[in-house]
Amino acid sequence: MDDAPRAAEASAPAARGTERLFDAASPGASKSPLVVVDDLHVSFERGGQQVNALRGVSFELQPGEILGLVGESGSGKSVLALTLLGLLPERPRPVITGSALVSGTDMVTANREQARLVRKQHLGAVFQDPMTSLNPTMRIGKQVIEAAGSTQEAVRLLDAVGLPDPASRLRSYPHELSGGLRQRVMIAMAVADSPALVIADEPTTALDVTVQAQILELLGTLRDELGTSFILVTHDLGVAAQVADRIAVLYGGRLAEVGPSADLFGAPLHPYATGLLRSRLVLRTDRSRPIVTLPGEPPDPRNHPPGCPFSPRCEHHSGECDVALPPLETVTATGEIAPSPAGSAMHQVACVRLGRFSTGHAAAIDERAEPWGPVASASRGRNPAVLVHGVHKRFTIGTGLRKKHLLALRGVDLSLNEGEAIALVGESGCGKSTLLRSIAGLQMVDEGEIEFGKGGRPQMVFQDAGASLTPWLTVGEQIGERLRSEGLRRQPRDARVLEALTLVGLPAEVAKARPAQLSGGQRQRVALARATVVPPEVLLCDEPTSALDVSLAATVLNLIGRLRRELGVAILFVTHDLAAARMVGDRIAVMYLGRIVEIGDADELCSAPIHPYTKALLDTVPEVGRVHVRLKGEPANPIDPPNGCAFHPRCPSAEPTCATSPVSLDPVEGASGRRVACPIALRLRTPITGDLNTAGVMSARDDSGRR
Amino acid sequence: MAVAEAFIPSAPRRGTARIGGARRIVGRASIAERVGFALLAVLVLAAIFAPLIAPYNPITPSGLPFTSPLHGGHLMGTDEVGFDIFSRVLYGLRTSLVGAVLVVTSGVIIGGLIGLVAGVAGGWVDTVLMRFTDLFLALPGPVLAIAFVAALGPSGFHTLLAVAIVWWPFYARIMRGEIRALAARPHLEAATLAGAGPFRRAFRHLLPGATSAIVVTASLDVGNLVLTLAGLSFLGLGAPAPAPELGAMAARGLQYLLQEWWVPVMPAIVVFLLTLASNLSGDGLNATMSDS
Repeated sequence: MDDAPRAAEASAPAARGTERLFDAASPGASKSPLVVVDDLHVSFERGGQQVNALRGVSFELQPGEILGLVGESGSGKSVLALTLLGLLPERPRPVITGSALVSGTDMVTANREQARLVRKQHLGAVFQDPMTSLNPTMRIGKQVIEAAGSTQEAVRLLDAVGLPDPASRLRSYPHELSGGLRQRVMIAMAVADSPALVIADEPTTALDVTVQAQILELLGTLRDELGTSFILVTHDLGVAAQVADRIAVLYGGRLAEVGPSADLFGAPLHPYATGLLRSRLVLRTDRSRPIVTLPGEPPDPRNHPPGCPFSPRCEHHSGECDVALPPLETVTATGEIAPSPAGSAMHQVACVRLGRFSTGHAAAIDERAEPWGPVASASRGRNPAVLVHGVHKRFTIGTGLRKKHLLALRGVDLSLNEGEAIALVGESGCGKSTLLRSIAGLQMVDEGEIEFGKGGRPQMVFQDAGASLTPWLTVGEQIGERLRSEGLRRQPRDARVLEALTLVGLPAEVAKARPAQLSGGQRQRVALARATVVPPEVLLCDEPTSALDVSLAATVLNLIGRLRRELGVAILFVTHDLAAARMVGDRIAVMYLGRIVEIGDADELCSAPIHPYTKALLDTVPEVGRVHVRLKGEPANPIDPPNGCAFHPRCPSAEPTCATSPVSLDPVEGASGRRVACPIALRLRTPITGDLNTAGVMSARDDSGRR
Repeated sequence: MAVAEAFIPSAPRRGTARIGGARRIVGRASIAERVGFALLAVLVLAAIFAPLIAPYNPITPSGLPFTSPLHGGHLMGTDEVGFDIFSRVLYGLRTSLVGAVLVVTSGVIIGGLIGLVAGVAGGWVDTVLMRFTDLFLALPGPVLAIAFVAALGPSGFHTLLAVAIVWWPFYARIMRGEIRALAARPHLEAATLAGAGPFRRAFRHLLPGATSAIVVTASLDVGNLVLTLAGLSFLGLGAPAPAPELGAMAARGLQYLLQEWWVPVMPAIVVFLLTLASNLSGDGLNATMSDS
């Protein structure tokens, strides 16, 4: 590949943009595109500094297409969504060049009234948190009717988005609906009047995994039925891959790669897309070694490098990467630069070194990471570090006649051995965080006992590391706090703080910084340094990665894995993501409405789930080429849990007895340590080892029973 | 380590902002607020250096009675006894500011401590302390102070004591509210798990977060207090004559308003300016503190 013409092209991005416009209008294109964004630049001033949010983005969207816009924080994805909606904030006043045509109107040059008309006639929007987008003082009926025009239309729309019993729901207030149902209401309002395009900004990020899958499926259905185009803005490549036809990966305000979902999710070409995909966890990810991560931090939009924005984190970078911004080039199926653009289904990559490194599959590169060492042997034992026995916890909500009890924990038994890692998985409201907080001693339990091994108080890292650090104290003071009780003088204390920082991969200067000066990933590292400066016997982790960007989350998971093995601490890791649970935990415990429904070896549980709920959770982990069976219904409400097996109203294989007879966590024959709270699944299960004869008799009996 | 290299302290750094705090506050304030800061600075300096600036002794006659302003070396004229009004106003300003600052300080300390204990402890301690505070809030402050001074006898000290007793509940409420809000953040739980005891939690992990709200409130409050103290001394509940007090000077001079207008108007103008300055600068402080 000759370098000279590429450099020439890079210096004339405007000319390239014009070319693309002509291509779209040429007779070859079947339909005229709905959205044409051409060389869009957006910058504004924040805190006296220039923020370059978008730096020359061009793409097209065909009618009826779903485009996944993927990027981490600071990539400019939300600014792009707001520009298309004509809703960029007036202050700080943004500087916009280029164009963003939506249904023929340029949202960059349109005045307020024109932009409003485009939004009214052609656009719909769905945001991350439906609670803040809906008016809390208005019944949802009134809000949907306002968008839909009539009551019948509102009911029809709510029915179309899968709101159960829509006519009576019209009288509900937003707070009376669950997060998933509220998001459905928002989507109903967005698709009212059949807009040509709906822009959905992280519509599923605040939702439970099972509900997320339902909402994504709904977007696909609406596209098929109404022909609406969607731009799905998300930080998660997997979410985009589930429903999008095409995916555009944004990095540092520029498109890094655009292409059909299957191509991009299957075999990405840009090193960033590859890295993003690699740090995404799936159930096949190798557990025996650290996750391969992207080094460094997401780009700072105030300070972009002159060349390729990804260059500082790129393993393939060389001098030529830093010369000029890499242009977006079309590539053919064989991975070569195409002589001419090949229509809207083309695969485009912005990397000047493309073809000079081997692109592709995660597995091939995985081998570079050294396998995990063994857990520090001295502490690895059969003695329990934490023993939870028959724990119940309920919270009282409201007062007087409206008083209700929320049953957070309804009899939990769990034993965490020394040096062991258990991951607790479940949807919101399942009691996983309550259990963690009870073990931490942050709240009393109503019934049952929590015993500790010889170690002292467990340590904990929180979901929001920023909020778990005191804003006005320096990092050094906060880490050193745990050493005060040891009666250490200042100097040895400082030395220990430094050691702890080094262990989590932070430089010494961080000790003098305050939390606000650190990035999200650095704050979580600080929280881990504080928890491990005196190695505790048990480290409790409450979703420590769910608020972090994908590439940083993988780094923190690796760090937890390393700390665990080097320090020999036992880990109790709470998460809603089974793939992350499998990476961290030796064992996984699945919780549903205050009880453990299945527990067992992490690999066994993921490869051969027994409980129907575990199966449903596993199915929410997105993977290409797999038919997903969606779990119906909402996560059940801990205020009034169903009798019998709490899961029976949502269970695909429920029988009448499930609603009445209590279930216990029974051991599974032939699988040591495995326990499942579902007699039906246990009965239907073919034992791995054991008496084949009995199994035969059982199945025969089943058959006869059915006839 | 790659991550180690990526640490770039985000500018502007908190530390430098704290050093240049005053400049930052003035820099962000509106024009009216800047005027307030300037005026307050002039008045405070005048109060501090009153003994150097005042041309005459404030409590010995220095000229003919009722000399009009700018005559016979009397900038603001003289009163019915022949005291130099400018000198008396300077000393009066001093008394007013010192009194106001003393009361605010005592209110912040007493109220702040009660609010802090109530907020940190919660439960029945909180209930008992806050109901006690409500009791004081329910009483009409100035009336209580009048009754108090009437009982103890008029003196500058008694007035301050009386006002201080009715002033603290306000601060207890604000402090408790701030502390409760801060205590709901996970950082307090994290500090508990890190082994911080109740004192360390209260003074290191909670109190610093409440200071900005308290400082703003207190600075706004100085203006209120100047008015209240002047009002009490106007009613004759301050230090007895001939002590230079702005309220008392205005009160006694009132009878000469039609002929020798400067006798009551000069001290009144100073009260007005002081209240204005402290309100404007309090607003400025409030705006900048809530920004950051």
